[in-house]
Amino acid sequence: MTAPSRYHQITGEVVSIPPRFPAPRAWWLLFAGALALLALWVVAVAVLLVRGPGVWGNNIPVGWGFPIIGYVWWLGIGHAGTLISSMLLLLSRSWRNSLNRFAEAMTLFAVVCAGLLPILHLGRPWYFYWMAPYPNTMGVWPQFRSPLAWDFFAVVVYLVVSVAFWYVGIIPDLASARDRATKRRWQFFFGLLALGWRGAGSHWLRWRQAYRLTAALAIPLVALVTASYALLFAGGPVHGWNSTIFPAYFLVGAVFSGFAVVGILAVVIRSLLGLRDLITPLHFDRIGKLLLATGLMTLYGYLADAFTALYGGGYELETLHDRVGGAYAWSFWGAVVLNFVPLQFMWRRRFRTSPIVLALVGVSVAAGMWLERYMLVVTGLFRDWTGSSTGLFHATFWDWALFAGFIGVFATGMLLFVRLLPVVSAFEIKREIGESGG
Amino acid sequence: MSGDRPVDGLEGLRASSGRHYWRSLEELWDKPGFRARVAREFPALARIAPDVDRRGFFKCLAATVALAGLDGCERQAAEDAYPLVRDPDGSAPGSQRAYATAWELDGIGQPVIGQCRDGRPIKLEGNPGHPASRGATDAFTQAALLGLYDPSRSPAPRHDDGPATWDDFDAFALGERQRLDAARGRGFRLLTGPVGSPTLLRQIAELQERWPGMRWHVHAPLGRRDASRDLSFADAEAIVCFDDDPLGNGPFQTWHAGNWARRRRAFQQGQGDALLMVAEPSPTLTGVAAQHRLASAQGRIGVLLAALAAALRGTSGPGGIGPVERRWIEQAARTLRAHRGKSLVRVGAHHPEALQRLARAVNDELGNTAPARPQAGDSPPDLADLCRDMAAGAVATLLILDANPASSASPDLGFERALRRVPRRIHAGLHNDETALVCNWHLPLAHLLESWSDVRCAEGSAALVQPLVRPFLDVRSRHEVLAAFTGGERGGRAIVRATWPGDEAAWRARLVAGVVDAEPVGASPRAPSRSPGRQPPATPWGELELIFRPDPTIHDGAFAANPWLQEMPKPLTKLTWDNAFHIAPRQAERLGIANGDMVEVSVGGRGFIGPAWIVPGQAEDTILVHLGYGRRAGGKVADGCGFDAYAMRSAESPWVRRDVSLRKAGGRADLACTQTHWAMDGHDWIRSVNEPDEALPDKPEGANFYPPRKAEAGGPAWGMAIDLDLCIGCNACAVACVAENNVPMVGKEQVAKGREMHWLRIDRYYEGSAEDPDHAFQPVPCMHCEDAPCEMGCPVNATVHSPDGLNLQVYNRCIGTRTCSAYCPYKVRRFNWLDYTRDAEPARVAQRNPEVTVRDRGVMEKCTYCIQRIQTARIEADKDGRPLAEGEVVTACQQACPTQAIVFGDLSRPESAVSRRKADGRDYALLEEANTRPRTTYGAKISGGAKKA
Repeated sequence: MTAPSRYHQITGEVVSIPPRFPAPRAWWLLFAGALALLALWVVAVAVLLVRGPGVWGNNIPVGWGFPIIGYVWWLGIGHAGTLISSMLLLLSRSWRNSLNRFAEAMTLFAVVCAGLLPILHLGRPWYFYWMAPYPNTMGVWPQFRSPLAWDFFAVVVYLVVSVAFWYVGIIPDLASARDRATKRRWQFFFGLLALGWRGAGSHWLRWRQAYRLTAALAIPLVALVTASYALLFAGGPVHGWNSTIFPAYFLVGAVFSGFAVVGILAVVIRSLLGLRDLITPLHFDRIGKLLLATGLMTLYGYLADAFTALYGGGYELETLHDRVGGAYAWSFWGAVVLNFVPLQFMWRRRFRTSPIVLALVGVSVAAGMWLERYMLVVTGLFRDWTGSSTGLFHATFWDWALFAGFIGVFATGMLLFVRLLPVVSAFEIKREIGESGG
Repeated sequence: MSGDRPVDGLEGLRASSGRHYWRSLEELWDKPGFRARVAREFPALARIAPDVDRRGFFKCLAATVALAGLDGCERQAAEDAYPLVRDPDGSAPGSQRAYATAWELDGIGQPVIGQCRDGRPIKLEGNPGHPASRGATDAFTQAALLGLYDPSRSPAPRHDDGPATWDDFDAFALGERQRLDAARGRGFRLLTGPVGSPTLLRQIAELQERWPGMRWHVHAPLGRRDASRDLSFADAEAIVCFDDDPLGNGPFQTWHAGNWARRRRAFQQGQGDALLMVAEPSPTLTGVAAQHRLASAQGRIGVLLAALAAALRGTSGPGGIGPVERRWIEQAARTLRAHRGKSLVRVGAHHPEALQRLARAVNDELGNTAPARPQAGDSPPDLADLCRDMAAGAVATLLILDANPASSASPDLGFERALRRVPRRIHAGLHNDETALVCNWHLPLAHLLESWSDVRCAEGSAALVQPLVRPFLDVRSRHEVLAAFTGGERGGRAIVRATWPGDEAAWRARLVAGVVDAEPVGASPRAPSRSPGRQPPATPWGELELIFRPDPTIHDGAFAANPWLQEMPKPLTKLTWDNAFHIAPRQAERLGIANGDMVEVSVGGRGFIGPAWIVPGQAEDTILVHLGYGRRAGGKVADGCGFDAYAMRSAESPWVRRDVSLRKAGGRADLACTQTHWAMDGHDWIRSVNEPDEALPDKPEGANFYPPRKAEAGGPAWGMAIDLDLCIGCNACAVACVAENNVPMVGKEQVAKGREMHWLRIDRYYEGSAEDPDHAFQPVPCMHCEDAPCEMGCPVNATVHSPDGLNLQVYNRCIGTRTCSAYCPYKVRRFNWLDYTRDAEPARVAQRNPEVTVRDRGVMEKCTYCIQRIQTARIEADKDGRPLAEGEVVTACQQACPTQAIVFGDLSRPESAVSRRKADGRDYALLEEANTRPRTTYGAKISGGAKKA
């Protein structure tokens, strides 16, 4: 097949998805499920706002609960999208081109979830903007020593950069979609979004500069954000939290869970939209390898953390005891088993390239990493310094409702993205074909 | 059959076939059947509705509007009450006024200063001028204030389950008076609770004089202990208590604890010993404070005392004494002999008279004579006599004054059944309670804080009670109720005034100071002396006993409607809102019982099911249960709290039952416990030394990331020191904190979730074996760390440091991230998870301290070192242009503490009390290793009680 016809085919395959959607039935089924969860989210948030955070199981000493667990978990998922896109872009790893668009979208929606959760976590969510450094009549600034203030800045910046990176990356494909659209409403929709892209040489020059620059910004931001929420824990004098390994540990853990979700999404999107030519076993293989690598690094984090506790003794050792044998030992061992046992399949190429195995391992890791966040937050707090401040945390219905609701928020966003926008970066694949001489 | 029913009003309409028109409601109303029906359904309407014509209605309306304005004025205290301040006239609106008055518990006076603002009493503090309290209070007294604002209080008289007026009652009382005058009082009985008021005693004596045929009975479900019989602990260098709890929550706590602490402080200074030995079935605050505690079943107490007496006299004692008991007795005998004339042997008041006599004899032999104190009159006969007479039909009129026997009498007396045989039953009380429901008349009594009275205090002197506010409701004081029967003077003030000698100037001086320096005039009531109680036989080991004790938070059940006390964790179990069967650890192990498991206790063949709670240090064969729970008509707050232990008692032996068995029942109860973990696990949260002058080893100060905080030049540096050697865990500080700082109560479910709001909690730790542990209490307020992790964590500057060293919480800046709480090593911060304050009853809202912000949902709060008091003192000092004086700022917890364990003040003055405490070698910081440099520090416990030989 000649290069131009290949170009044509790829453009057709990707860009024509929104107007002539290949799997309306499956999509609607998934979308109905997502909307149901979204409705649950609306109810859970309404109940929360009307009655207050007391609808959850939080208490003193376990003042942080599901919202913080969810926040760390969603942010971690988001990081993989950024890393796949920008790091591999700067390293010119062309295989990323089939994955980066939806991985970036995943980042976007995960960061939206992660951004909403700490706001809902607040006792008075309507004042969340007091964390922002803006001139105000009260004459009060944020408290710059607080890891929370920096966390707020980091997440806001990360959200902005993620949106920018994703949007800049999709503009050329939006223009293709506009040009190929036949219906007026699609022409209008894509025309607005394409920002007058004509494919001129100067456009491409500016675009390339902007795209690479945003990518270069995004990579350190990932480390910054993980470090900021790692400090959220490590900054306080809480046993099990107050550890210097946390920034690195959180970074690999985040990317680990993110790759797991990328794997799930790759399998789902591939089968939903029939993109067998674009998302190939090669991609699964690469995702599997990355999953294995980051998983082993996370395991190292576990071991190093335990070693520090054994070495340090005292309260840290008590917390370790609580983790492996206390009231929440199930969360610790659940995390260990779900994160690292199914992961061992990834040593074999045969399993890595199997979409089903990859998706199942991905689900296991996503669940395992959630348990790990649970373990970290709850076991740090439920037995505090003094024996008298021991208190168990029991999640309530509304805790779980909000948790499920956020999956609805994420899924609704992803499904709308799949339905309305080009899910694979067609022009980058075409350029790749062009550069390699077809 | 419908045909049998009288056809009235609406039924009349429905029953008539065809069309039946009525022109107006009046036509319907005019039918007598309908009137009766309305009277049945709406008793209030029945009295008010009829015979108001249009003109009359408008006359009433006009008068209502005209008079409404009159009530718009502030409710001040009665104009003839005398405040502490010299000149109440011309004081600025909103300024605070203090009145010396008193409150009573079980007939024992608790002298207080009532702080009033804008006519509302907002806080009770101990009266420093009164020798019975020296400025301290107990938890009950702190919470008594809330009883004044109790929305479930009875608002107006009731007659035959319908509303009535005082005029109705006065008419009834007039008829009754004439009848009784003719019968010389035959058939009239008066039933009261324990009476400590000289005026009330005088009134009763007058009543007896006028109606020789009447009899007076006393119902005291917790037994009676007369003020006069108690000896001061301040001089006793060695005290041996046999199942007695003088330091425990009760009417004498403030007096005894204050004296004990004075002795203990002298011991800390090297002056004499302060030894305490206790033998008791279940840990009490006294037992926990003791140096040598022996867990011993109540049935063994008599044998132990006899053995001690024999050991002291050198005679052969009773047999069957175990080796552990023997060692304890020998030590007690040694200790008592070494402190002849300066020691004290006490036996719990619930033990029989024979034991009391033996203890008195031992005290006499040791030369421990107590100073003579005025004796109260002889004790009147108790409830059993009354029940017998009522059942025999010998009682025609019964006036129950401020007692609730229907709730707290032993069931075998058959009080309610007997009461129904009395034709005229009158109940006067604060609540429309269980007893009121079986009486013809219910008269609402005034709360003591809104009435004139007087009361005898723990050390024997009296205190005058003057109203802090005019009654909120249509109520009368107990003196006024009695006066309605006797005729004559009706005004509460005049009745009380007549009891006390001296001219008007002396009277005023007493009112201002709250201390009475005279003996009352008038006769004391006569009553036959009580028959001595029978001595139950000593129990051998291994026989199960069920013992009854007053509850440390709701006492005899009278405070069941008081949320401050219901939610206050019981000192030793840390349970709230519930009682439980307390069982020993071995017993629990044997039956496989865990905390909260339901157990069935069979008492005299009747089974009672309730949750179990394991109490380390309890005698193995003892089951303990607290009285006062399971109220049937205790009001909304008390509904569903605990189970009724009065139902398990017998009149014969009200404090212990031996005909019991225990077995595990199915199921569990969710008990709200505020401290589930109590092992020290090798940590040194509680530190102790062996000798008073021993210093704790120094811990090296940790490195610090931040530059040292500079104190404001010349300004104060606030700090607190809490001496764990003096803390008896009584909760007075915690309730005082609630009262002062508008701390919301959240209810059992929220407490069970770990969301109690107390700013000051009292931690309790055990060390040693479960059978014989060492207990320690540790009050934990905010530590006001100089390097506070919370301040570092808050992203919005809602918790910041003040120049004088306070860790401030800015409520309106707080957005509720809860980072401060997560980072706080002491977990003293409290979060408003739900809206705990907006739905409060208006009656309770009136109690709130206007100086303290009421916190909204979603906001963090914590101990402020009573910053409002610091600011008030500072403003006063600024107005006078002088620096703050030492001791001018007193926090609420410090003020209440009966043992003066808590000291607050300025650390920048080396001579201040708090600086001296901190300079002591026993001073240590909780969690020093966290390097937070707290401003609140603790004084280590001293394990001994005697000087080095």
